[in-house]
Order: sequence, then structure tokens, then C-alpha cells
Amino acid sequence: MVELELTVNEKTYKLEIEPDERLIDVLRRRLGFTGTKEGCGEGECGACTVILDGRTVNSCLVLGVQAHGRKIITIEGVGDRRRPHPVQRAFVEEGAVQCGYCTPGMVLSAKALLDKNSDPSPQEIGVAMSGNLCRCTGYDKILRAVQRAAREVSGK
Amino acid sequence: MQFFQARNVMEAVERAGPGSYFLAGGTDLALQLREGKVKPQVLVDLSRVAELKTLNASGGCLEIGSMMTFAELGSSELVRTKANALWLACQSMGSPQIRNQATIGGNLGNCSPAADGLPPLLALGAEVRLVSRRGEETVSLAELLKRRPLLQEGTLIKGFLIPDQGWKSGFAKLGRRRALAIARLSLGIAVKSEGSRAKKIRVALGAVGERAFLSEALAEMLEEREMDETWLEAAAAGAQQVVASALGSRASAPYKQAAVAGVMREALASLAGGEELNGG
Repeated sequence: MVELELTVNEKTYKLEIEPDERLIDVLRRRLGFTGTKEGCGEGECGACTVILDGRTVNSCLVLGVQAHGRKIITIEGVGDRRRPHPVQRAFVEEGAVQCGYCTPGMVLSAKALLDKNSDPSPQEIGVAMSGNLCRCTGYDKILRAVQRAAREVSGK
Repeated sequence: MQFFQARNVMEAVERAGPGSYFLAGGTDLALQLREGKVKPQVLVDLSRVAELKTLNASGGCLEIGSMMTFAELGSSELVRTKANALWLACQSMGSPQIRNQATIGGNLGNCSPAADGLPPLLALGAEVRLVSRRGEETVSLAELLKRRPLLQEGTLIKGFLIPDQGWKSGFAKLGRRRALAIARLSLGIAVKSEGSRAKKIRVALGAVGERAFLSEALAEMLEEREMDETWLEAAAAGAQQVVASALGSRASAPYKQAAVAGVMREALASLAGGEELNGG
């Protein structure tokens, strides 16, 4: 076992994990952040996306030990029913959620983009969302939702 | 399994022994661990080794530390101007999430046939800096890729040296879709020209056989010629010959042999960089 100290959604956790334990398992099983979804488990779908020190990663391809001393944002840290993040609100308003399984990852990819660039071009949005697959919506509504959130965030 | 987080290169190679694996970005290794394909006794984490996270241009070389991620290289102006082929590969490799985590050193260490970083590095004439308890070694990437196994036990990839001699370079990749696609075919090319004349060429192919390789035959065919329409067609046809002979009777051969002509044209259209240097 290895000692791990990490910050998730601005709260610090200390725990012991196996060296080969994936970050997604640390988040879901040990810490209960089950908003992080496992899709393919091999970095193809982006359902398990979390933000690690400001950048999106697939938590199924990162080992828990690699998050030592680092800051993670999961979907639980983005907003809630009472105070949704602009991206979450836009997803609802645009109807960008169907089954919802890809949504936490989608929202986190969009948030990470808007945190760095509040006025992205449609092409920049396309690139930022390209690592997240959705099998329901056909993407149009998702891309529209990100554009809508960007307008709100940038005040345009 | 033991876990060790190295603070510097010395510590990392000291701990590397039989059954040890270096952990770079982990995007390949995490999956191999889960699938039981590798069973390390010791995992030596390199994420805190600052000397592997460097990028600078000095002494006529672009020097890239092995722990630089694809996202970091792909957002670097220095890489774009000095190593356009590599910069282009960094835009299309994997997905944003994978580019944020995966490293250029790990790309070589894992050495997938479809590794996106290798054809551009080969075309750019990169040398690889290796270090182990036995000492340091600098070897051309083309030579290193001929070794079996790629690396002796306990050998760490420290970084890459790309000569800065005013070559233009380009890269193109064929995947089944634009994002999240494993390369079916990739091609890196670098050209040292005088006016419209190609003086020296390096062409490398990926996802054609077991490892990426430089094609000397193709380079010879295209050197010392005017880079006109005929030359372009010769490049496309030459690439087709190289792919045909490399793949033989493999099932993918007819597809890749046809496709490489387009990949070559696209790579040539992407040629850039090197202009601002003397004698470029």
C-alpha cells in the first residue's frame, strides 16, 4: 500500500491505496465520487473525465498514485441542483442530456475549456469536446450547449 | 508491487532493476497493468523529476525532456517553429485528455507500431538521450528503433535532441475518425531545401509494420530534385512502393498502399518551419 494525499473538490483526503489502483477506482470506490462514470475503461470514451490540476484527464488511464499532492475536480465539485454551473444549466436548456452517462465527462471537458478560454470558437469547442463520446444526442445539442454556456460566461 | 517516486534522474535509475517499470504519463501502462500484461515488481514514478520536464533550444538543438506531455509540446511556439512535424502530431494524437497526460518519452518507451510521436521525431533526425546505472548514451532514434529489445533493463529515456538546421517538416496521419483514433498510417517528412530544390530529405512511416522506420530509399528518390508537380507525384508513388514492400501480403496492405499516397500529399502540404534560420 502507498500513502496518498490528494485534494478533491477543494477538500483534502489522506488514504492508503495499491500502487496499481486507477484514479477512477480511488474516486468512486474509496472516496464515493460516483458521478465519475466508467465507460470503456481504456481511454476511448471520456466518460471518466476529471480535471487534474486544471487539465482534463481520463481517470481510467491515470493511476491513483499519480494524483498525489494534486488537485482534482469531479462533477460533484462543479455545481448542484440549486446552483448549477453555467455549463450544466446550458446542457439542460439545450436538451443536451439524454441517458446522461456521458454528461459528467462532457460537462467537465466544457468547464475546463471555458476556465481557460471564455470565448472559444466553434472549432475550439469541437476540439475540446473531441475526447468525449455520446451515443444518444448526435453531439449537436451538446456543442450548442457549450456555445450557450460560453456566451453566458463571457457575457456576450 | 512496490511504488517509488523518484525526485531526480539519479534516484530513478538507482531504483530501476529487474522487474521495474518507469511510470511516465501512464496512459498505456495503466491499461497494461489492469489487463495483467505487465506485472512490475517496482513502479518508478517519474512525475516529480523536474529535469525530465524541460524544453529549450540551445547549441543548435531543440532539447525535449522525456516527461513533456503531448499537450505541452503541442502548445509550444518553440516546437511549432523548430519541429513542425512533431507539433502537428501533438495536435491529433489521442484526445485532449490523453494529450494532457501522455508523454513523448512514454510514447517511445511503449513503442506501439502506431506511436504518433515517432515518425515526426525520425523525420526530424532526433537523437535520444538514454541513462542507466551503466552510464549515459546518446543514440539516433533511427538506430535505437532497430534494437531488440528497444531498451536494456533499467534504461531511462531522458529526452530527445532535434538538430536545428533549418529543415522544414510536416506530418499527416490517417485514422478512422479525427479524434480518438489510433493511427492506421502516419507519415513524417523533413526537407532541407535550396530555393525550390530539395537537397536532403528524411521520410518516416508509422503503423506500417512493427515499428516506425525511416525510408532511405524514398529519401534518395526525392533528393536533389526540383520540388514540382512531378516530384510530388514521385513522392506519392514512392511512398506506395515502400508501403507495399513493407506490408507484403498483410490484409491491410491493399488499403494502406492506396491510402499512403494521400497521406504523403497531406504531409507535404503541411511542410513548415525552419524558415527563420540561416541557410534555410
